[in-house]
Amino acid sequence: MLHGGPGPYGVTAPRILIVDDDPNLLVILAEQLKADGYEVQTARDGEEALRRLAQSWPDLLIIDMLMPRMDGLTLAREVKARADLPIIVLSAIDTADSKADLLEEVAEDYVTKPYHYPELRARIQRVLRRLGDRVPRQRLNLGPNLALELHRREAIVGGNVVSLTPTESRLLYALAANLGQTVTTETLLARGWADTEDADPSYVWVTMRRLRQKVEIDPNKPLHLLTVRGIGYRLVGASAPVGS
Amino acid sequence: MSTEPAPAAGSPAAPAPATEAAPAPESELTGVPVYRSAGLGFRTRLTLGLIVAAVLPVLGFGVVVLLATGASGDASSNLMRVLLFAVAVAVVFAVLLAAYLAADLAAPLRAIERSVERVSAGDLATRLELPGDDEFSRLAESHNRLAANLERRNRELRRILNALEAITLHERPEVLAIQAGARAREAFGMIDCEILLVDPRQIPFEEVVPGEAVPVRAELSAAGQVLGVAVGHLPATRRWERADQDLLELFAIEISAALRNAQLYARVEDQNRRLVALDEAKDDFLRGVSHNLQTPLASIRGYAQQLAAEAPDRRLGIITEQADRLSRMVRQLLTVNRIESGSLRPRLEVFAPAPRVRRTWEALGAGDVPFSLDDRSAGWLALADPDQLDQVLWAILDNAVRYGGRTAVDALVAVDAGTGLVSITIADHGAGVGDDDRDRLFLRYERGAERPSGEGSGLGLYVSRELCRAMSGELVLEPAAPDRGAAFTVSVPAEAAEES
Repeated sequence: MLHGGPGPYGVTAPRILIVDDDPNLLVILAEQLKADGYEVQTARDGEEALRRLAQSWPDLLIIDMLMPRMDGLTLAREVKARADLPIIVLSAIDTADSKADLLEEVAEDYVTKPYHYPELRARIQRVLRRLGDRVPRQRLNLGPNLALELHRREAIVGGNVVSLTPTESRLLYALAANLGQTVTTETLLARGWADTEDADPSYVWVTMRRLRQKVEIDPNKPLHLLTVRGIGYRLVGASAPVGS
Repeated sequence: MSTEPAPAAGSPAAPAPATEAAPAPESELTGVPVYRSAGLGFRTRLTLGLIVAAVLPVLGFGVVVLLATGASGDASSNLMRVLLFAVAVAVVFAVLLAAYLAADLAAPLRAIERSVERVSAGDLATRLELPGDDEFSRLAESHNRLAANLERRNRELRRILNALEAITLHERPEVLAIQAGARAREAFGMIDCEILLVDPRQIPFEEVVPGEAVPVRAELSAAGQVLGVAVGHLPATRRWERADQDLLELFAIEISAALRNAQLYARVEDQNRRLVALDEAKDDFLRGVSHNLQTPLASIRGYAQQLAAEAPDRRLGIITEQADRLSRMVRQLLTVNRIESGSLRPRLEVFAPAPRVRRTWEALGAGDVPFSLDDRSAGWLALADPDQLDQVLWAILDNAVRYGGRTAVDALVAVDAGTGLVSITIADHGAGVGDDDRDRLFLRYERGAERPSGEGSGLGLYVSRELCRAMSGELVLEPAAPDRGAAFTVSVPAEAAEES
């Protein structure tokens, strides 16, 4: 980082740059974030945001989707072209929108307007925490029948592309960052459901079962997603082809 | 040669035309004699003719001499012998000579026959060699020309077929016309060729001037519609015959069909593009409307909450709730748009349904309405799109409060392990749904008959049912029961919450 801050787990507060053309929203959101101890900068449009980026890099950007002149998607691409900074897009479009996929390619997460602040805060925390996971942005080959393209939320299973839900890819993110090692159910729960109040370990169990159905050739004889009973799960690579 | 008529031996009763291969018999039933042509060969007939021509005068001479000397007694017998000998010698010579001549004359005919057979069998390369300058050699020459022409046309036809094959379908008609023009030029060996997509009457016919490039043209039409005209020029030395024109017209027919397809395809493509553009424009418009409504709502909500945190006030809670209500209605309109364009894409996540029901109820802000939640879904998690299920629950709970006359609202969350569905039944204690309304309730823009038309969008139940179905679930109105008012059940897939 240019400004020398030690990052999300360090002493200095994480710096967030908010980009939105609505001044009211900028003010209220900035106040809410400052109250939670974040250092906040604001920009009214994409150009101002890029100017601010030229001076220093924040730890995270919150970008409004629809802005005059440069829209959020373009800005997010510009930012990613300069540095792999985490981005949360704030927009009136929801997950079912056809543009949501485009967003997912450039943004780490997105929150629909009108946002509920506790949810937004949970997502900010999750995105900042995920910076600690060292998951390569390229394809991760785990064996002859499984490869992960987590930044695209895809798994390639026996040659077929299988799309993953945001939660599923978050769990795989956490597991892939600790490849071969056991990740506890509690850790996975925190990674997958940081913004869900009533989540419990059964969320992890059921999601892992469904994930296994997606990424394992034979879900009853898993090769990659292994259960460590009573503790957690493990993601491992398999060298021998299935059936040999 | 079995040319003589032969009776059908062994089957005298068989009718004559029954077997075509059998020699035609004299029909005993009809009494009409059936003959086949005597059909002596050309060579045989020529031989016989020559023999007759050579021997007749000798015989005639002999007869005359005999008649003249017949009266003079025994001197004749001596002369007779001489004459007979001379006749015999003449006959022998005549036969030999005739046979030789006939064979010599028939040989070229045989050769021509064999060559014609070769040509008709498709061998166009070998030529007929008949030296000399007689009728036969001229016949051979014209036969060779015929074969050469056939060969050339075959080559042309092949080039044309290749040319047609090389034309890209699904190309725009103008591009196709340019392509086809170039192909025709190559295939027919023209100097230039253009396919003009205009009324052929606009293109004047060109005069043929000896020594200059020969103009050719063919009109293009398909399905009774004139599409244009192909015009081109041939080198002055090139002969352009009827068969060449026929080939060009054949080419024109094929190109016309391709052009017509291209035109139709282009029209459909164009319409599709326009529809897609229109659809995108509509989506963009709705996105913009949604954005412009949701952004101020976000501020309203944010400030109201901030104020409430500083100094709690019931009215700030109302502002927040109403902002939420408005923002949900905006979302509902977007959802209707997606239902109509078939682009609902639920993102299935795993979650406990009952807390969701409670949270939605709390967000509704109907604190004065009694609410009970009976959760019998322990050990199961719903598999649904949380956002979409929220929309559904909100619409149904909101309905229960509005149309239940603020009577108590009961929610029951249960699981049917057999079907693997979790069901959420929400009932009020109001008047319930009239029989007339039961069928109309889920239609778009419909409200119950009793309800004021200014209230709500009339979309809630329609949108909710579509959302449920998109998640492989269902939304139904429960039958009327004495102990409750209206009751709706939402069901979505569920999974057992076990470690695995």
